[in-house]
Amino acid sequence: MDEQALIHDAQGGNLDAFNTLILHYQDGVYNTALRILGDGDLAADATQEAFISAFKSISSFRGGSFKAWLMRTVTNACYDELRRQKRRPTTPLEPDTDDGEEMDSPRWLADPNMTPDQKAEADELEHALQHCLNNLPVEFKSVVVMADIQGMDYTEVAIAVRVPLGTIKSRLARARLRLRECLQGFEELLPASFRLEEGTST
Amino acid sequence: MNQRDLELLSSYLDGQLKPSDSARLEARLSTDPGLRAVLDDLRSARGLLRRLPLRKAPRNFTLTPKMVGKNPPLPRAYPAFRFVSALATLLLFFTLGLNFLAPQMASQAPAFGMGGGGAPDVYSAQAPAAAATEAPAATEAPAAAAEMAPLPTTTLSAEDAARNTVETPVEKDGVTEEPGVLSQGQAPVQNAQPVPAEAPRPVPPVWQFVLAGVALLSALIMLWMRQMSINRWRRK
Repeated sequence: MDEQALIHDAQGGNLDAFNTLILHYQDGVYNTALRILGDGDLAADATQEAFISAFKSISSFRGGSFKAWLMRTVTNACYDELRRQKRRPTTPLEPDTDDGEEMDSPRWLADPNMTPDQKAEADELEHALQHCLNNLPVEFKSVVVMADIQGMDYTEVAIAVRVPLGTIKSRLARARLRLRECLQGFEELLPASFRLEEGTST
Repeated sequence: MNQRDLELLSSYLDGQLKPSDSARLEARLSTDPGLRAVLDDLRSARGLLRRLPLRKAPRNFTLTPKMVGKNPPLPRAYPAFRFVSALATLLLFFTLGLNFLAPQMASQAPAFGMGGGGAPDVYSAQAPAAAATEAPAATEAPAAAAEMAPLPTTTLSAEDAARNTVETPVEKDGVTEEPGVLSQGQAPVQNAQPVPAEAPRPVPPVWQFVLAGVALLSALIMLWMRQMSINRWRRK
């Protein structure tokens, strides 16, 4: 995929070129929205909004990391969604079962190739991590999602959230520390190699 | 654990420290188990986050023209037809207006003194001599008036002519300035005698038909191009 050529064509109004870019980036953008919002449906809506917004404003892209530019768009869409949630009553993060009870873990996202035991463990761990992510302030959450889950470097994250590099380092360090503290409450769910020692750093 | 150390450890974990800073931190880590423990905790937290499965997007988020309020791309020739259509329409209305206004202006020309120095109706068949003597400069007026709309000049009475000649003494200056006009003064009056039934139009109607045809044809071609583009886009 010649990304620069596709971006150039999209800037000229070529929707097919932009759709090719969407197909390449949609998983990453969706996962970022999913981890920031903690809800699959909201993440899908935010992702769609982000791509629409990105196409409409693609003429403002002046080069550099297109992924970072896209992540900024989806982060903004997530912030908008979170602001909407604050104004309106919140919906549960877990989907309801047929009899109306909330599911304990997000099984609707599970990988179908895993054994039932693996699936259960993965679901519980994911649930714990998502729970801890949800408890982070949104500006910490977006940074840690992009750096640690999306694997973006500091510069890309700085472009995406439009803050100085020093702020990124600070937010990332504090976000990791808070996550560590939060995950101590789910010690029994963590794989042995990731068990944390209590009270080591505070 | 202070904030500065926490940031150093986090950046060290990501390999974002300068070599000199890394060396200093490593020296501290070798002697400070508390610092090492925090580094391990941060590494564990980062490792767990990296273990989060990357979910496949639940659907394709590709955009449709409707979603972005976008029109289909039009052929390159489209703007040319748009220009031709607009120009032809503009010219059509201009010529229509010209043909409509020209006869009216011609009929009002004497009153407005077109070429007559302000009193062209001084001329009439009944008072050529007075006109020639008292307002010779006005002799140009009937010529123009006769060409464009000679009807009013033939209906003037001698009384009107006389009155107008009295009211326009200024025209005498014209005599002194253009003496040669005086001798030719009567000729236009005599030429004005054969009155055409209808004034000719500045633009022949055939040109208006051509312009209307070009405008209409261009508009139809544009419509066809747009429809073809939409159909082609829908098939994609």
